[in-house]
Amino acid sequence: MKRNRIALLLVPLFPAMLAAQERNTEGPSGDWTKRVHPIPEVTVVGQRPIKEIGVQQTKFASAALKENIALSMADVLAFNSSIFVKSYGRATLSTVAFHGTSPSHTQVTWNGMRINNPMLGMTDFSMIPSYFIDDAALLHGTSSIGETGGGLGGAVKLSTKPAEANGFGLQYIQGIGSFKTFDEFLRLTYGDAHWQVSTRAVYSSSPNDYKYRNRDKKENIYDDEMNIVGQYYPTERNRSGAFKDLHILQEAYYNTGRGDRLGLNAWYIRSNRELPVLSTDYASDRSFENRQREATLRGIVSWDHLRRNWKIAAKAGYIHTWMAYDYKRDAGNGTMTPMTRSRSTINTFYGQAEGEYSIGSRWLFTASLAAYQHLVESADKNIIKQDGNQAIVGYDKGRVELSGSVSAKWRPTERFGMSLVVREELYGTDWTPIIPALFLDGVLSERGNLVAKASVSRNFRFPTLNDLYFLPGGNPDLQKENGWTYDAGLSFAAGKTGKYTLSGAASWFDSHVDDWIIWLPTPKGFFSPRNLKKVHAYGIELRAGLNVALSKAWRLHLDGTYSWTPSINESEPMTPADRSVGKQLPYVPEHSATVTGRLSWRTWAILYKWACYSERFTMSSNDITLTGSLPPYFMNNLTLEKGFSFRWADLSLKGAINNLFNEEYLSVLSRPMPGIHFEIFIGITPKWGKKKT
Amino acid sequence: MRSARTIFQRLAAALLLAAVCTECMKWEYGAAEDFAASGAGVFIACEGNFQYGNATLSYYDPETRQVENEIFRRANGMKLGDVAQSMIVRDGVGWIVVNNSHVVFAIDLDTFKEIGRITDLASPRYIHFISDEKAYVTQLWDNRIFVVDPRRYKITGYIECPGMTMESGSTEQMVQYGQYVYVNCWSYQNRILKIDTETDKVVDELQVGIQPTSLAIDCNDKLWTITDGGYADSPYGYEAPSLYRIDAETFTIEKQFRFDLGDTPSEIQLNGAGDTLYWINDDIWSMDVEAEQVPIRPFIEYTGTIYYGLTVDPARNDVYVADAIDYQQPGIVYRYSAAGELLDEFYAGVIPGAFCWK
Repeated sequence: MKRNRIALLLVPLFPAMLAAQERNTEGPSGDWTKRVHPIPEVTVVGQRPIKEIGVQQTKFASAALKENIALSMADVLAFNSSIFVKSYGRATLSTVAFHGTSPSHTQVTWNGMRINNPMLGMTDFSMIPSYFIDDAALLHGTSSIGETGGGLGGAVKLSTKPAEANGFGLQYIQGIGSFKTFDEFLRLTYGDAHWQVSTRAVYSSSPNDYKYRNRDKKENIYDDEMNIVGQYYPTERNRSGAFKDLHILQEAYYNTGRGDRLGLNAWYIRSNRELPVLSTDYASDRSFENRQREATLRGIVSWDHLRRNWKIAAKAGYIHTWMAYDYKRDAGNGTMTPMTRSRSTINTFYGQAEGEYSIGSRWLFTASLAAYQHLVESADKNIIKQDGNQAIVGYDKGRVELSGSVSAKWRPTERFGMSLVVREELYGTDWTPIIPALFLDGVLSERGNLVAKASVSRNFRFPTLNDLYFLPGGNPDLQKENGWTYDAGLSFAAGKTGKYTLSGAASWFDSHVDDWIIWLPTPKGFFSPRNLKKVHAYGIELRAGLNVALSKAWRLHLDGTYSWTPSINESEPMTPADRSVGKQLPYVPEHSATVTGRLSWRTWAILYKWACYSERFTMSSNDITLTGSLPPYFMNNLTLEKGFSFRWADLSLKGAINNLFNEEYLSVLSRPMPGIHFEIFIGITPKWGKKKT
Repeated sequence: MRSARTIFQRLAAALLLAAVCTECMKWEYGAAEDFAASGAGVFIACEGNFQYGNATLSYYDPETRQVENEIFRRANGMKLGDVAQSMIVRDGVGWIVVNNSHVVFAIDLDTFKEIGRITDLASPRYIHFISDEKAYVTQLWDNRIFVVDPRRYKITGYIECPGMTMESGSTEQMVQYGQYVYVNCWSYQNRILKIDTETDKVVDELQVGIQPTSLAIDCNDKLWTITDGGYADSPYGYEAPSLYRIDAETFTIEKQFRFDLGDTPSEIQLNGAGDTLYWINDDIWSMDVEAEQVPIRPFIEYTGTIYYGLTVDPARNDVYVADAIDYQQPGIVYRYSAAGELLDEFYAGVIPGAFCWK
């Protein structure tokens, strides 16, 4: 058939193709020391995966995830996708948001288990080392319904996978960078016909005291009479920004070889981070300590049972998180004394069962039920009561969350498919109405593999435990946020085996969210959440990729994204003076774009990354003021790498220049980001017991 | 290797383009402006959002009805900081307390230029002058009141406050009667402290209701404070708020005016003569300081928003009410006559919270 002669993947997204290429060309450790990255033999696929009918997703290449050990998933997403990454600084809180929504509207799963903080609703992506993730995908808008509920913006799906090792393996990478930054990565693997075992560890530390010209304050020069005789913008260091993060990931998989696989994943995090002060802070460095510590263990055991036309799987998991925040001041006697000492402990128990059943190649039915039990203890403040005894301001609450879905996917012809997903969720005692999602896709033209997709879904997001119970201010009467989302798009893929591949996708989305929860001050001086806003978010997302064999030794990979995301407040005015109606939500950029380019020649490669965000408003009225301005910024990073292959080991050398043009920029008000900085990485992968080449 | 050369040429061109784009995005850091403030106007300290560093200062001239916003930033070429809590004027100098920047700025009242600053304060809330050489600065989440030398911009000592730790400490507004300064203790507190300004020691305390929010002294040397009553489920307690009249001489409660449970009174203010009291409790209320019961009807009715700031023009007796709207946009200030007639309105900065007359 002509279709089969056109040796192309009918996948809509170029990054997915890159991922496939990486799987074909690299070992499990992401070794890039091979002499040439070939343009792969393109697999013939007769049809699009029936499981992904109509799904708008962005998959990330292994090359992006394993670019260097210092990167977190926040860094990967910032330069390889069009979703908005709001970063408070290096190794500091970084959240992501799709489609003009907020970070708590992004659901995040790790090996199928939702890892959003149940107190805050969001996920800190700076706490996820990209070297710990083997597969990552963004599920845009409606497409998240198939994975989980609550993703009014979308979902980020993170997974690990067996190392595909044969015998023992070791990989060690050391990174040394500016600001006394040290990054270390170690991976030990063992594999045979049945077992795959992997241990990964990442340790990162830095005083993180980068210099910047502080334009938000001036240093005074006084005369003897204390009159100001001069002022200047000081060059300061990032104060209170040190971090020490340790991550350990243990995995073991047992494959019976008869269609059953057992898995264990355990991820331990121990983080000790200072919280940087604002550029407008006049406290002495020695008089305070502002620190956040976290210890988290996430564990999952899984069983997959696969047969020719059906599959069942079960998972059980547990998350324990202990978080501490301390703000201490010198009490005047040299003793650091707590002004704020908050502690929180979260225990989450998780279980999930799912099954799939296919009838021929035209029908696929799936069902899934996930259960979470969160137990949260939050101690925010120690006080002295009126009777003189001590008391703690906080809460101790639990919540059961159930999320179940069934779906039917139907492909009557190879050119057309449709899928219906029905989900329902229970949080505490509150059920959602039926959450439907309908997906359609169809091949418009086999020439260029032009595929059209469309989907529509309803969705709900429940208030977080802090929204409901935080003291003071928690509001147990909050309603769940709800909305409808519509997506439609086109994608194409073309190419010539061994020469080039070119792909692209364009999608449009439109979503309405009602009862948007926002925290507002009360007359008593604290904040309290209310269901207030009605938001209309819409826009377009573009993605394109090019993969070219320029010659026998030269390869070029280009990948680009662009996003236009108006996110408009359509609420009723809060007062007649309210000027926020009809305006873009604060901190949501209307335009964002990324470009990455990788040029390789034999064992050399150069990687260029570029990202830009348009101006973000800091006020709901979209006023541009001197004090509240966040100008657009462009970010440029450059990496040069070289691989060496010896008889006994593969070695890699890599040098990265971040913020190449030493740009002064802010992602968040009053939090200057680092200027140009460097890091070099040396990696070794011994060839134990392998053929010496 | 012709193709390689071409590739590198194109790569260089791309880098150049990126560099050009980068050059286009350089920030415009505003130069300092020269001001000559007119009239006896009012400064409005706009808190800004916590952790945004977007506090601002506005100046409004009641005579010309002109407002200038962001005057600190425009006059000095730098930001005011994070959470502008309060401001006072003494001898032609304005003192602005910026809570989460841990600083008190001194500015010239006509040019708005900085003339000095007191730094490294724990969590400053209000400043009160004892003399030219001594002032007190109250703190939140600190059990000390800082003693400062405003001439040298130095911290010179501390007043230890009894019955509170660093974590539960809270001292707020100060008024003076003779050699004594009185201060209300707000967050998880229920007391008024009495400080001897000669010894810088707390010499007495008076228990009132839960969380007294503000403090004023009237023409009869009576202290007025208003409590917010705490909040539901607070381990400290939750009760109906009250307005207290306290005799400054004897430091005893003379009269307690009770509100309903759930009411949210705050912002005790006095007119220029000190004989009329104003406060916010959803509506704006006013009361003669001699009155024995609170009025039945408000001075200005609640309009569905949360009034955030309040002041009275000491010369004209006009009442200014600040509305923070959604707390994420420039708030609006309404100016009413003493008879409650709307005279003017203007936008200030984000969360206009404190007023200070020139």
